[in-house]
Amino acid sequence: MTRRIEQVVVVGADAPAWMAAAAIQNSVSAAGIRVRVIELPTQLQPADAYSALPELAGFHHRIGLPEDLLFTLCKAVPIAGRRFSNWSGAALPFIHGFDRSPPPAAGLGFTQLWIKGRQKGLRTEFENFSLASVAAKAGRVPVAAGGAALHAAFGYNLDAGAYSALLRHFTMRGGVESKAATIADVETEGDRIIAVILNDGERVEADLFVDASGPRAALIGRMRGADVESWREWLPCDRMLVASARGLRPLPAFSQISAFRHGWIGLSPLQDRTAVVAVYDSRETSDQAVLEDLPALANMPIGGDAIVSGLSQGIRRRAWVGNCVAIGESAFSLEPLDGTQLHIVHYCISQLMTLFPVEAGAFPEAELYDRIVHRLAVNLRDFQLAHYKLNRRFDMPFWDACRDAAVPETLQRKLDVFTARGRVPLNDDETFQEQDWDSLFIGHGLMPQSYDPRVDAIPEQEHIAQVQARLNDIVGLVEAMPPVDDFLAGVNSRQAAEAEAVG
Amino acid sequence: MQQVKDIVVVGGGTAGWMAAAAFAKVLGTQAHTITLVESEEIGTVGVGEATIPPIMQYNALLGIDEDEFVRETNATFKLGIEFIDWRKKGSSYFHPFGVFGANIKGGVGFMNYWLRWVQAGGDPDYSHFIAEGEAAREGRFARVPASPDGQLPRLNYAYQFDAATYAAYLRGYAERRGAVRREGKVVDVEQNPETGYIEAVKLADGTRVAGDFFIDCSGFRGLLIEGVFKAGFDDWSHWLPNNRAVAVPCERVEDPTPFTRSTAREAGWQWRIPLQHRTGNGYVFCDSYLSEDEAAQRLLERLDGKPLADPKILRFTAGKRRLGWVKNCLAVGLSSGFLEPLESTSIHLIQIAIMKLFEFFPQREVNPVLIDMYNREMDVLYDHVRDFIIGHYKVTDRDDTPYWQYCRSMSVPDSLGAKLELFSDRGETRWLPSDLFGETSWFAVLYGQGLIPRSYHPVANALSDDELQRALASISGAIRRRVDALPSHAAFIESCCAARPAATAA
Repeated sequence: MTRRIEQVVVVGADAPAWMAAAAIQNSVSAAGIRVRVIELPTQLQPADAYSALPELAGFHHRIGLPEDLLFTLCKAVPIAGRRFSNWSGAALPFIHGFDRSPPPAAGLGFTQLWIKGRQKGLRTEFENFSLASVAAKAGRVPVAAGGAALHAAFGYNLDAGAYSALLRHFTMRGGVESKAATIADVETEGDRIIAVILNDGERVEADLFVDASGPRAALIGRMRGADVESWREWLPCDRMLVASARGLRPLPAFSQISAFRHGWIGLSPLQDRTAVVAVYDSRETSDQAVLEDLPALANMPIGGDAIVSGLSQGIRRRAWVGNCVAIGESAFSLEPLDGTQLHIVHYCISQLMTLFPVEAGAFPEAELYDRIVHRLAVNLRDFQLAHYKLNRRFDMPFWDACRDAAVPETLQRKLDVFTARGRVPLNDDETFQEQDWDSLFIGHGLMPQSYDPRVDAIPEQEHIAQVQARLNDIVGLVEAMPPVDDFLAGVNSRQAAEAEAVG
Repeated sequence: MQQVKDIVVVGGGTAGWMAAAAFAKVLGTQAHTITLVESEEIGTVGVGEATIPPIMQYNALLGIDEDEFVRETNATFKLGIEFIDWRKKGSSYFHPFGVFGANIKGGVGFMNYWLRWVQAGGDPDYSHFIAEGEAAREGRFARVPASPDGQLPRLNYAYQFDAATYAAYLRGYAERRGAVRREGKVVDVEQNPETGYIEAVKLADGTRVAGDFFIDCSGFRGLLIEGVFKAGFDDWSHWLPNNRAVAVPCERVEDPTPFTRSTAREAGWQWRIPLQHRTGNGYVFCDSYLSEDEAAQRLLERLDGKPLADPKILRFTAGKRRLGWVKNCLAVGLSSGFLEPLESTSIHLIQIAIMKLFEFFPQREVNPVLIDMYNREMDVLYDHVRDFIIGHYKVTDRDDTPYWQYCRSMSVPDSLGAKLELFSDRGETRWLPSDLFGETSWFAVLYGQGLIPRSYHPVANALSDDELQRALASISGAIRRRVDALPSHAAFIESCCAARPAATAA
């Protein structure tokens, strides 16, 4: 029998590295496992923001990070959804709200009732039946008084540098050692990393190495069989520009994603500024042209801090090789279109914690981890790709090509089943649930041809009453929600009171 | 094509009447007609039938009152399955419904803590960490909600009932809601010459029953799905060689146990399903190792009461219809595949087929995309159940007969092989969140069959020995208190759902 795992080394930088270290420390340090971070140079720019899904709150809770600190230290803005505009020449924008298992209507999914209603002439748009979307439009944060359960949640936009610093501070305080360095060499034996050699000559051994270095893949990139499978045939954008613009007042409760001729622009409100990102295809336009067009596209002046970088989307064929586990963007990367960057890190970490290896030997967990990460990646890629596939920007070569291109079978099946019946066949390890896919597909104009025949068993009056009741419920719930600025003021006064009490 | 209006169910029995009852409830008979064709001549396979907890969802769909249902079908309550002589002769284990242990705060699955405790020399009998298992052993039962402190979930159970009375009960339900039964044997099928869709079935007396959608509940032979559409069959007898069953009811000799018993035998296994009025028994075996006559003889010798009928032989091949849904025909029940009743999944597979059909049911033309979706989802379920059942045969110490020598040395599907490897390494049972059989089931069976994990999740080491001791004592104490408060199974039935004498005499 081989040895038990005793020493884990996390190699990386910024939020992903500290998230990994915090989670590992939190769950296995009591079992006698030590964690050390080799902190690589940051890859963040001052203008960078993270956009996070509501699930990140679960991660903070797990590691014991007080949620209020995000708002007081990381310039965070709570958002209830993401608004997609200009993805169609004619149709109105829509909001993908962060709904959480919407209640059934007459025992069926509400979408099914809506489809029939639509066929019978109901004019109310689908997003008005989404609690989170309506909250987002109203500039309100989906929280209920007294912490009551809601069928909606909020995600956040965070200042990336401040959030990374907060996690770093929090993790170090929890007893994790770290050292700032770069990797000079990696000593391997077969599929196994024996040690990493740092730039100052130090040789760092460990039983398990976690690669949280992002797309540079400082460790996994050197492992056998972990080469990258590119997704460019489906996802053509290969450039990303980040910049800052002035803050918005009052603060909106959503991020805005607008398509333009050669890609898309994202505007994510933060407390002190708006984070701007542009993602596009270098074969269609130049960095300079995008920078010049940006103020007009964003409809606001752009600061002088713009930085452009390459973007390559794809997945490593293996995410866990020997004793090296890749998490987040060192395993696979996508555009920041659906705010999944930190989610990928979080999901990989929780899988790693579930399958945390017992012995520093053969790692039979690797295969299962690989399969899970692969499913996660494909599901997220398909969600992102659906935006492109369903665009209705006609007579623009970039968008026409996106619309006409064949999509992977996994996505095609979802599109087909949704078109046929308004249902979305979910796979295992789906981040986005049926309500998210419904919102995405219907928002982009994909209308189901039929609905569940059980809807026909509902008498017409009852059907109308159900639809009306859903609208009324949502209006009532949203009216009781705080506007973003009130929500932030509430956090601040809570913090001030605590400081005084401690004080 | 016109609106799908007229639905024809070919074949009665459990599958046929479950389908007809669900259709009558869900689609109703205002805008649809529901016709079930069955022949008294053919008879049904149904014997004593055991179920698994998701049957509650089917009953809820129908809005069935549980007490009435139990009374009408001579049913008993089931907390799990006892497996005797499966690992080796003289051994036994219990596959309980419910969950193993309880959550330990901030930790990993309970099993890991328990494995740690056993590796440190603790008692390897895990039964006092599963309320359902303890209650079963002591013959107790009641409906128990989740504990107020959230430590224990509600007591999880299913039913054991008489399949013939179950079908009769559902028939009454369906007919009261307007479903129509037609007596007769199907002798011919009319198809549309262009589309190949079934348009009508013809009965022996010349009657023509036309429909827009046909449910094939004709049993093993698959009158429509195979007879008409040649849907094909994946033969799984390499992994599941049993191809015969002999069944016989016997007199009840004691209060009914709140569990099913499965005893491994020389060439297969014997079931014992206690009902209120009698006990169902059967011997599932492979005829390459034991003749039908010998099997019947051995079964009769091994009954715990006087036989109430002549033994009935059933012949089958383990496997799955390659396509369960073709054009306007859906196979439900044995026509869609056969997996031996070792884990009581037959009714579950029927129920899932029906519920999925509703999700994908056509309004007008049948959409191939939805058919494909249905077939894929059923494949996943069938493969999962298949793997779980194969695990019982593959993982065993028995080598006392050629049958068991074959089972333990046979190759298994890759999907199962990977599971067995990870389980033996670290007790990992977390495969897919959507799996029917979850952590407790895989653990109980694989561990019970003798696959002992070498290790466990390292987080389980985070507790000190004292803390672990206290946590385990707290959980087993809560379970003990829960079980102590239960009445006997027989007393519970007597209190609310005893079958009426008329039904008992049937």
